[in-house]
Amino acid sequence: MIHFISKRLKHSLVLLFLASVVCFTLVVSAPGNVAVLIAELRGAVAVPGYVAQVEEEIGLNKPLLMRYVDWLGDAVTGDFGISYRTGQAVSADLPHRMMVTGTLIAGSAVIATLLSLLLGFLGAFWPYKLPDRVSRGLALIGASTPTFFVGALMIYGFSVTFQLFPSFGFNGPASWVLPWLTVAVLPAAVLSRVVRVGLEEAMTSPYVLTAKSKGLGRTAILFREALPNITPVFINALGTQVGLMTATGIIVEPLFAWQGVGDYFLAGVRFRDFMVVQACLLIFLTFFIVVNLIVDLAVLMTDPRIRRQWS
Amino acid sequence: MNKLKPLFARLNKFPRVALVVIGLFVALGTFAPWLAPQDPSAQNLLQGSLGPSVAHWLGTDHLGRDTLSRLIIAANTSLVSVGSVLIIAMTIGILMGTIAGYHRGWVDDLLMRVVDVGLSIPSLITALAVIGIVGPGYWTMVLALALAWWPMSGRISRAVAVSIMSKPHIEALRVLGASPWRIYFGHLLPGTIGAVMVYATADAGTAALAVATLSFLGLGIQPPTPEWGQMLVDALPYLESDPRQVILPGLALTAAVIGFNTLGEAIALNRIPKPLTRRMLAMRRIEVAGWAKENSDA
Repeated sequence: MIHFISKRLKHSLVLLFLASVVCFTLVVSAPGNVAVLIAELRGAVAVPGYVAQVEEEIGLNKPLLMRYVDWLGDAVTGDFGISYRTGQAVSADLPHRMMVTGTLIAGSAVIATLLSLLLGFLGAFWPYKLPDRVSRGLALIGASTPTFFVGALMIYGFSVTFQLFPSFGFNGPASWVLPWLTVAVLPAAVLSRVVRVGLEEAMTSPYVLTAKSKGLGRTAILFREALPNITPVFINALGTQVGLMTATGIIVEPLFAWQGVGDYFLAGVRFRDFMVVQACLLIFLTFFIVVNLIVDLAVLMTDPRIRRQWS
Repeated sequence: MNKLKPLFARLNKFPRVALVVIGLFVALGTFAPWLAPQDPSAQNLLQGSLGPSVAHWLGTDHLGRDTLSRLIIAANTSLVSVGSVLIIAMTIGILMGTIAGYHRGWVDDLLMRVVDVGLSIPSLITALAVIGIVGPGYWTMVLALALAWWPMSGRISRAVAVSIMSKPHIEALRVLGASPWRIYFGHLLPGTIGAVMVYATADAGTAALAVATLSFLGLGIQPPTPEWGQMLVDALPYLESDPRQVILPGLALTAAVIGFNTLGEAIALNRIPKPLTRRMLAMRRIEVAGWAKENSDA
């Protein structure tokens, strides 16, 4: 157990290092001179020697390795440099933005889990009957509808036609509902298939046959025998989907006027504000690595077979 | 007609919805300029935001452009960009995958680690990061998406290449003294391309989705070229007064993606590349016997 965790932590640290190298090289390899850009921003590009002064200031004249170490040291302490577009520190409202994106992902993950379990169990309880077909059809439609279209439909349905929820802004639970639902559709569709297929596989296994021969009912078998067995698989798939939600957030946050990390990343991409792109990318990659780590630990907790292997 | 029979038999194994939708999408995309009833970018501000009529079957958008024509031309835009993305991504993926499958050892480890990292990052984030560094534009979008897409075909082609390399005829070729180039280009590459192509068609749906998403974000296909995602974002400010212009492109895109996803599911369920089973070998034999008979008839 301890051995597994320490090995997994080491693995994550290596991945984090790689992620930081990727983010750093991405910006270093970007075309154009950064110092000129900043000097222009401050309106002093024509002042002789000013560009060199900026280079000195942001450490552009140091060797590459030194720049990497400096940048990494700053990034670890939460300093992501100066935005080329606004001239402000990138990290200024980053905590708030991370909170917004965190709210989006956490809420959507809960909704997606509940929805997918409901749909998957419906399908597994009446296999190849009407509920199964409905759940399958919904999953196909949910997995195929573009997220921005889902968002537009949500706004049209719940905000324009019925005026139940506000269509934009981040103030209070009522305004969280539509973005949550929008982001949750795709993962719910994918996960419901995972649940359905996993349950079907479990239902044909010998231990279920044993349970049946002991006279257990279908509900009891599904919840007591099959569910614990698909939990590790489900957690794995959920982890992947939570990672993907960062990408969906990039689409959904601007749509609902949420000032999250995804929105920031998109703005950075639009205005080619490399420092913002770099900071957001590092946050995303760190998030994936942490989610993967949590998933692996959770699988270890829920799957006694793996636990025994490592103890 | 006789020769078409095996083709039909093979097509019959695929879900019909997928075939109809994909056929329609490809046909519309290919012949769009001849099929569109009106000029897709001809504006007429006096006739903006109209409902369906004889002149405009699906109405007009806020600039008075014919929606049906724009939807049809958008299929063409989508088809061309998805095709370019997949061709570039598959070329990179097949090259990397076959090299990894041919050499194994550290080359394999290194390439597959790169593929793992590529697969673990959502393709939208990879594509946006590339666009953010290089700057927006049509070819940047295609290249960015190809860079986000190649790991998928890379992994599949590596799996196929490994299975081909372990087959006896490769060993026989080696014993006969065939050069590595002959094994690679004459046997490994052709075998891999076929298998990967099948999977790539299933990927086309998500690729179309990605193109539309980037266009929706304003970083893909630029107006006035019609594209479903970009038509949708164009009409979004008028959602309240004219929801049809938002819903129609969304539905068109969803239908296309549903078609490709159904196909992808069918492929994932039935046609995972695996060593030939005895049953498949028997079927092959019957098929080959059929060809021989046809040839002797002629």
